[in-house]
Amino acid sequence: MKFVSLVLKSARRSKRRTALTMISVAVAVFLFATLRAVLDGFDSVAAASSATRVVTIRSTSMIFTMPTSHTEAIRSTPGVQDVTWANWFGGIYKDPKNFFGQFAVDPESYLRMYPEILLTPEERKAFIEDRTGCIVGDGLAKKYGFKVGDRMTLGVGIPVYGSRDYDFTVRGVYRAGSSAVDNQSMMFHWKYADERSTPQGQIGWYVSRVADPDRAVQMANAIDAKFANSPNETKTQTEQAFSAQFASMLGNLNVLLGSVALAVVITTLFVAGNTMAMSVRERTTEIAVMRTLGFPSATIFLLVVGEGLLVAVVGGTAGALLARAVINGEYLGLAGGFIPAFGVNNWNVVAGVGLSVLIGVLAALIPASMASRLKIVDALRRVA
Amino acid sequence: MGLITNYNLRSMIVRKGTAAMTAGGIAMVVAVFVMTMAIAQGFRGALVASGSNQNAILLRKGATSETVSAVLRPQLPLIESMPQVARARDGHPLASPELVVIISLPRSTDGNPANVPVRGVGPLAFEIRNTLKFVEGRRFTPGMREINVGRQAVNRFRGVTLGSDVKFGSATWNVVGIFTADDASFESEVWGDVDLMMPAFQRNGYQSTTVKLVDPLAFASFENAVAADPRLDLKAYPERDYYEGQSETTGTLLRIFAVFVTTILSIGAVFGAMNTMYAAVAYRTREIGTLRALGFSRVRIIAAFLVESVALALIGGAIGCILALPVHGISTGAMNMTSFSELAFKFRITPALLGAGLVFSALMGAVGGLLPALRAARIPVARALREI
Repeated sequence: MKFVSLVLKSARRSKRRTALTMISVAVAVFLFATLRAVLDGFDSVAAASSATRVVTIRSTSMIFTMPTSHTEAIRSTPGVQDVTWANWFGGIYKDPKNFFGQFAVDPESYLRMYPEILLTPEERKAFIEDRTGCIVGDGLAKKYGFKVGDRMTLGVGIPVYGSRDYDFTVRGVYRAGSSAVDNQSMMFHWKYADERSTPQGQIGWYVSRVADPDRAVQMANAIDAKFANSPNETKTQTEQAFSAQFASMLGNLNVLLGSVALAVVITTLFVAGNTMAMSVRERTTEIAVMRTLGFPSATIFLLVVGEGLLVAVVGGTAGALLARAVINGEYLGLAGGFIPAFGVNNWNVVAGVGLSVLIGVLAALIPASMASRLKIVDALRRVA
Repeated sequence: MGLITNYNLRSMIVRKGTAAMTAGGIAMVVAVFVMTMAIAQGFRGALVASGSNQNAILLRKGATSETVSAVLRPQLPLIESMPQVARARDGHPLASPELVVIISLPRSTDGNPANVPVRGVGPLAFEIRNTLKFVEGRRFTPGMREINVGRQAVNRFRGVTLGSDVKFGSATWNVVGIFTADDASFESEVWGDVDLMMPAFQRNGYQSTTVKLVDPLAFASFENAVAADPRLDLKAYPERDYYEGQSETTGTLLRIFAVFVTTILSIGAVFGAMNTMYAAVAYRTREIGTLRALGFSRVRIIAAFLVESVALALIGGAIGCILALPVHGISTGAMNMTSFSELAFKFRITPALLGAGLVFSALMGAVGGLLPALRAARIPVARALREI
């Protein structure tokens, strides 16, 4: 216990320096926790994706569509329990800069397929019954101020949907029950868009529920086999594989964010290590006196490491908690949902505090060994 | 001024351990700044390089990119007959009707599918985009199921090397040539005959048309002529502006990331510099007192400490720039959110970016040194001289 108060005393010796170092560690840990949270955001989309849903797209690439005749073919594959479909609409809300996901879906089967889209029973009923109705995620609703009953108009972005604007009535604001669903999207009736499309009867992708998640891959192959060598060959994957690939399309995030995180740690090590070295240098005489009084060099070593730990952990904890409070992920999906919503969670806080422990120990290591190996005679003779 | 500055700079050498640590912290921040900005610049650069100021691209009115645009077949002769369109030696108008679709190819690194743009082009496309150079093989022959592949795409995706057969869009295509394009985004693309691509992808119209103008200054009159013709519901854009616009969404995101990360990092480094300078001032209290007693003014003391701090930071900044340099030219890729396809590009470190890195480091030094310098100036002479 007496050593703790000694560590506290030496940390208070230069309050300004200790405070500056704490803040340095705090901002570094803040950044680290935020980067970790971004990566977790991508992972959570893959983790939350259902093992029983498989996604079917055209084998050429996602931008090509399939005829509606695929619906019954997929439905009749043994082991497929339910099928729904969607199209990417790519419309323009007031300005092309207002980018968000707009999906033309088959309302009943789509909501059945995605129980994660949380609507009240009234909203659900109102949406299904209104041919020009739409539902919006709560993140999107907050961003653009959409409320139930509002009218909204989307300009056509992709020529196949005709040239006239589409008018919608907001029938529901949904919450996302898991990361598998993005809360910054809008969904409306596939039929509404199809009526005005040339050619008609085109489907962007199918989502099917399979009975046995362990056989999802075989099921996916069975679906693709049905369309092999047809003009509209398909590629079916589990939802998990599909979203993991989508994330990998954005670029190698692990490497990019990982190297930035490494730079953060090294920068902070320089700052904290410098502080500890200064602190030890200032106390050279003091340390020599302690050694003369009989403190073993191991104790001196631990005292310095303890001071480093104290400064780093106090700063790091503050930074991690601040990140937890500020980066809460509620409405943070960037680039219209291409980057999923991310929030600093308790694990990120723990990782951040763990990092600050590492910084504290590493930064104090060299100054501590210098202090513990001090030659008493030399140190006592030295002035200041 | 010279004497006292010299004194400050030399005292940096006296405390080389501390000075090195501070400079090291700043070096890391500048290195991260330069590298992350090099990504944003490389991405934007690849798209900007795709545009020539003598070319114009025509899109459907209101379309923001080629993928959502449409140019009808009967509109092509109307465009070709415009007097602002340059002609080849044989008199053919230099206009290339184009179609861009996305196909999925496995990435060479991990085998995951990536979105690759396939561009169907007219026979004169290579005369219009004259930065394209063939490094292997030859141009595709119009009317044949042959394709040319950009050099970046060859490295980045599997199965598109010279001579291989690639299956997409209900046909098989033979790779007969590999081209470069001065690092432009075309190097990430696959090119073939537009008239064969259209039926292969079940399309019956073009998406855009790129023309070479007789003169870069002819754009304004070309734009007006297009707007005035009621048979064309098209709009002309200078090709460079168009491609620059295509880089906006992803480019902005990359820049925001760079600025966010370096701003936060720099706070830590500035505090580190502040610590160092406060310590420097504290160690030299007596010396500062002596200088003041000799008649050096407060302003000169402040200036001298600021110079010391900025010099220290600049050394760090220079080291940071050197640390970042090796990434220049390394190829990487990112999804262009506007075209929904993967764009390969190189980290691009320009002298201007290095300059910005140095200015940034000097700024960190100035901010970190200001408060300690003010403190140094406020030290009462009598007390300072009495200190040991």
